[in-house]
Amino acid sequence: MNETHFHSIKDLSTHHLLGAGTAMCAGCGGLEALQVIYDILGEKTVFINAAGCMTLLSVYPYTPFRGSWLYTAMASAPAGAQGVRDALDILLEKQLIGTDEDLQTVVLTGDGSAYGMGLSATSAAIERGLDFLYICYDNEGYGNTGHQSSGATPHGARTATCRTVHGFSGDKKDLFAIWAAHRPAYVATVAGAEPVDLARKVEKACRLKGPRLLIALAPCPTGWGYDPQETVQVGKLAVACGLWPLKEAVQGKIVHTKPPGKRLPVETYLKTQDRFAHLFEPQRDEQTLHEIQERVDIYWREWEE
Amino acid sequence: MPKHHRSNALFRIRFHGRGGQGVKTASRILGQAFFLAGYEVQDAPRYGAERRGATIFAYVRASHDSIYERGIIRRPDLVVVADETLVEIPAAGVLQGVTKTTVVLIHSKLTAEDWIKRYTPLEKVVILHPVKTRRQELHLDSAACAGAAACLAGVITRDHLQRAIEEEFVGQKGSLVQANLTQALDAYNQMALDSGLVIAGSGDQGTTPASPDWIDLPFEAADISAPTIHAALTSTQVTTGLWRTLRPVVDENICRRCGLCSSYCPEGVISLDDQGIPVIDYVHCKGCLVCVVECPAHAIHAHPEPVPEGEQT
Ligand SMILES: Cc1ncc(C[n+]2csc(CCOP(=O)(O)OP(=O)(O)O)c2C)c(N)n1
Ligand code: SF4
Ligand SMILES: [Mg+2]
Repeated sequence: MNETHFHSIKDLSTHHLLGAGTAMCAGCGGLEALQVIYDILGEKTVFINAAGCMTLLSVYPYTPFRGSWLYTAMASAPAGAQGVRDALDILLEKQLIGTDEDLQTVVLTGDGSAYGMGLSATSAAIERGLDFLYICYDNEGYGNTGHQSSGATPHGARTATCRTVHGFSGDKKDLFAIWAAHRPAYVATVAGAEPVDLARKVEKACRLKGPRLLIALAPCPTGWGYDPQETVQVGKLAVACGLWPLKEAVQGKIVHTKPPGKRLPVETYLKTQDRFAHLFEPQRDEQTLHEIQERVDIYWREWEE
Repeated sequence: MPKHHRSNALFRIRFHGRGGQGVKTASRILGQAFFLAGYEVQDAPRYGAERRGATIFAYVRASHDSIYERGIIRRPDLVVVADETLVEIPAAGVLQGVTKTTVVLIHSKLTAEDWIKRYTPLEKVVILHPVKTRRQELHLDSAACAGAAACLAGVITRDHLQRAIEEEFVGQKGSLVQANLTQALDAYNQMALDSGLVIAGSGDQGTTPASPDWIDLPFEAADISAPTIHAALTSTQVTTGLWRTLRPVVDENICRRCGLCSSYCPEGVISLDDQGIPVIDYVHCKGCLVCVVECPAHAIHAHPEPVPEGEQT
């Protein structure tokens, strides 16, 4: 039962369920992760989507999904999911649909929603023990509206609303810790660039009931400023530099699923993106670079002890 | 330099490009340069929900008088085509409202004669030779477009252009500003012989614009009129392959049949045939080229679009 189907990348489906022709940017890292996720979830899913780039997946009369999709306000996707789950449960109970017609209730939102506007609705849904899967694709900003800062914007990054010399002075919110503190059935961080780890976690989440939440790093060529072809490389570097720890928490117990071992310096990652270019030109911003590296080192030191 | 006497005619300039190529920036530079040259200016980009690679438009109007016109430019005096592959795409509307008097500036490897032969209304074609072929530097082409357009208008000096670029890129790293300046000023110089070729108001035939076609929709019940989609996978009717400027092509002799490209493709448009060879759906592939980078055997190569007939896989 707990044996995984995914041992290597060869075990991933090469026939993809999500339809092509969407309006997402060429090279969108969020879409790359969603491909893998949808292949595993399968057709019997209903997506509840809060305003963000992925709202563009389903723009009337076009949809890349094989099943239903519902659009909600930015703060309300988990509340929408509650309504959908309840409706399905009532239909099941009244035997108006059979168990074979039941659907997996999947919330799909960006980080603007997940880390900010929708946080309280998520907290409440976990509190109620809602049986749903939450997928946050984290492009570290309000992508859809031109990449303004969000609660997920990392230290030192420039965004449309933060053009200061050293970049964003605050810190990325630790959503994993916030969600995990609710002790839901499952929480994990994933990255499309590490599809086997991602697939295993989706598989695991599907086998559980109750609130299950995934935060997927979503490298964004448009908002982060790099060539679309580098999307997977940028994601891999985020993991290799220790900036994006791949981990999971089952009922509160946290495990790192793919610790980076000997970590690459964060600069290797930062240099790939225009949003950090001001840290290197016209002269190196040693202090900010040091701050970013130090935060990563402290994180891993705490775990390695 | 300007041969023109002060006229109140309205310049109508339309830009065509793809998201990510900097066409919006080019139109802002040109607009700002007009402004510095003492004009009233309007500049506005237009694009839909689609992203990088999709067609975008930008409109610049400039006049010594107040500008009361708004919106889409249907009869331009100058059309700037930053991406030549758009000309053959009807939805891109590059040739819309183009007449014998319209100047069409095309960023192209072909000659003006080639273009004139190909498309009937074209007569005043000016070629701007592409400077950069690396996609990372494509935005520099847009600076070149702005520079060339500025010269063709005949009323903008090099100094106006330079200041407009410096203002557009204020706060950016010096090397970027310099690279854009070089491109723009080079392109400006290239156009020296055609300076003033664009005649303000030439596109305007003095006719009043036709009123829009109204369609009266009967009131429908919510279950009919709500934008509910009742079919799966309808997105596949959208041909996002048109966004592509580079085409990934698999070399079957080198391919090791590992399927990695299929797993990493953000669009999910690479499937494997019975032999395990990747098959790319070019109708939808947006040309992100993630597969080119990820293929461990380096079996996928990027070819510029449009791929000549006969060489298409
Ligand atoms: C309450 C509310 N405020 C603002 C908006 C405008 N808006 C639409 S999408 C978006 C950005 C959402 O960011 P995120 O959730 O990170 O998704 P992304 O666009 O990055 O995919 C914003 C601000 C909105 N739809 N609703
Ligand atoms: S802006 Fe970023 S997250 Fe949004 S569709 Fe484009 S690449 Fe994806
Ligand atoms: Mg976002």
